[in-house]
Amino acid sequence: MTLRARVYEALGTVYDPELDEPITTLGFVGSCVVHGGDVEVRLRLPTPQCAPNFAFLMAADARRAVRTVSEVHDVTVVLEDHYTGEEINGAVNDGHGFSDAFPGETAGDLQALRELFQRKALLARQSRLLSVAATTLGELSGPDADRCRALRRALGIDASDDAPAFVTGDGTPVAASDVRFRRMASLTALSLETNGGMCRDLLKTRYGEVVAA
Amino acid sequence: MYEKDGEKYFVLDGHLHFWDASPANWKPGNEEYAKGWIECFHAYMGLGPPETHWTLEHFQKYSADDFEKDVFQNGHVDMAVLQSTYLKAWYTDGFNTIEKNASILDRFPGKLILNGRWDPREGEAGLRQLEADHAQYGIQGVKLYTAEWHNGSRGWKLTDPEAVPFLDMCADLGIKNIHVHKGPTIWPLDKDAFDVSDVDHVATDYQSLNFIVEHVGLPRIEDFCFMATQERNVYAGLAVVIGGLMHARPRFFAKVMGELLFWVGEDKMLFGSDYAIWEPKWQVEGFAAWEMPDHEDFADYPRLGVEGKKKILGLNAAKLYGVEVPAEFQVAGTPADPTAAVGVEG
Repeated sequence: MTLRARVYEALGTVYDPELDEPITTLGFVGSCVVHGGDVEVRLRLPTPQCAPNFAFLMAADARRAVRTVSEVHDVTVVLEDHYTGEEINGAVNDGHGFSDAFPGETAGDLQALRELFQRKALLARQSRLLSVAATTLGELSGPDADRCRALRRALGIDASDDAPAFVTGDGTPVAASDVRFRRMASLTALSLETNGGMCRDLLKTRYGEVVAA
Repeated sequence: MYEKDGEKYFVLDGHLHFWDASPANWKPGNEEYAKGWIECFHAYMGLGPPETHWTLEHFQKYSADDFEKDVFQNGHVDMAVLQSTYLKAWYTDGFNTIEKNASILDRFPGKLILNGRWDPREGEAGLRQLEADHAQYGIQGVKLYTAEWHNGSRGWKLTDPEAVPFLDMCADLGIKNIHVHKGPTIWPLDKDAFDVSDVDHVATDYQSLNFIVEHVGLPRIEDFCFMATQERNVYAGLAVVIGGLMHARPRFFAKVMGELLFWVGEDKMLFGSDYAIWEPKWQVEGFAAWEMPDHEDFADYPRLGVEGKKKILGLNAAKLYGVEVPAEFQVAGTPADPTAAVGVEG
């Protein structure tokens, strides 16, 4: 596997926190250039006004993910064509936090925001698994179940095989037959999928059909 | 007026604009933001049918003649609520101020309802301006854009203490229709700017005001639906839902409509074309012709009949704005059961 392929694979582990999809499949990686051990990743978003907090998380996560790839030396992440790109690029490439990018404009870091959307993502993912009458997590398999496990681990919710199959966003066990849970999960999934569809359409309008270089 | 299959629809477009985003109006030093904003809007136009797309140059600034042709002549619109959005940090004379909007009122007598705006960060001067706008134009509503930049601040929430005197003034003066439009930034920047929980709070506190959440809280439709079921005075503005999804993503459109019909109900949903982002013509025609797909994926959702479409296209907004609609457009029988959707009883 070439270094570039491994770098791209690492970028595939970076999720848009709002949509719960990898930035690679969303088309947000505009280019990924490797020179020796130096990597430059250019990210592009559906609109110049996409929310700065989510944009920052994706840029920072991308840098962090690529830095873990062996034989990589320097990593530069450039968020292109964004109205707070200058602030975000400066902070991310210096390894600084969100509050350094926007001094005086934040009340905390982005962990609370990230967790809020991990809870939404967990709820949404589970809606695709409800056709299985499972009681424990071990009975669920496939990509959606794997993503649920990852989200549960990130949120500190038991993700062992013996753990309850389904939980509400705050980790409370719930039956797959619970009507309210099913309704909220499918509504949340629809919300994420609709947003993802709109983001794809806007990205295509903005940049055409060009795929990542 | 739109007529189809012998049914007559009174169309009250609840959300449209008459803007100037041409380069001559870009604020020196902030041209990049002004350009980015209008190009972003233009990209949304790309979600509509190709034959309705405009050039960017035309989209940046259109004339009163264009407005008349697109909205009233071809667009089937009987009346429209003209919203005011200032964005003076980026546009020298504002994006579409109340003064600019008012410049076309005389041309379309009885057809336009003019809405104002306020921004809590303007303090006392802002209150006096709201009072003056009410006195001059008799506004019944405002549009609030929470992501507007102002003196280094990138946004605000309805629950900010500074918003209280403005909401009080709206209640006192009878400026009863509060259109809320969420955008991508807010103070503090680490919070979710699209969160609608602030609307929930003020809707509870101000029972005499109606809160129309534009683009139904997208991209937070799940939070919006959950909130709207609990608040008697919260309405779903369908701008972006119809324009952005009906053509581009018909399956998502049907599901979003299904969820809104289930949680919010057809009595509290309002058509808005968001012109000039999208022309009303294809939206009105497409919506009147739309049916929930006959497929098991949509089996759980309520259906939308002719009466529901008449309400959404105009009758619901007419009630909010006190517009008398001729009998030929009214729906038969009594108003729909307000408890039909999940929403709470008044």
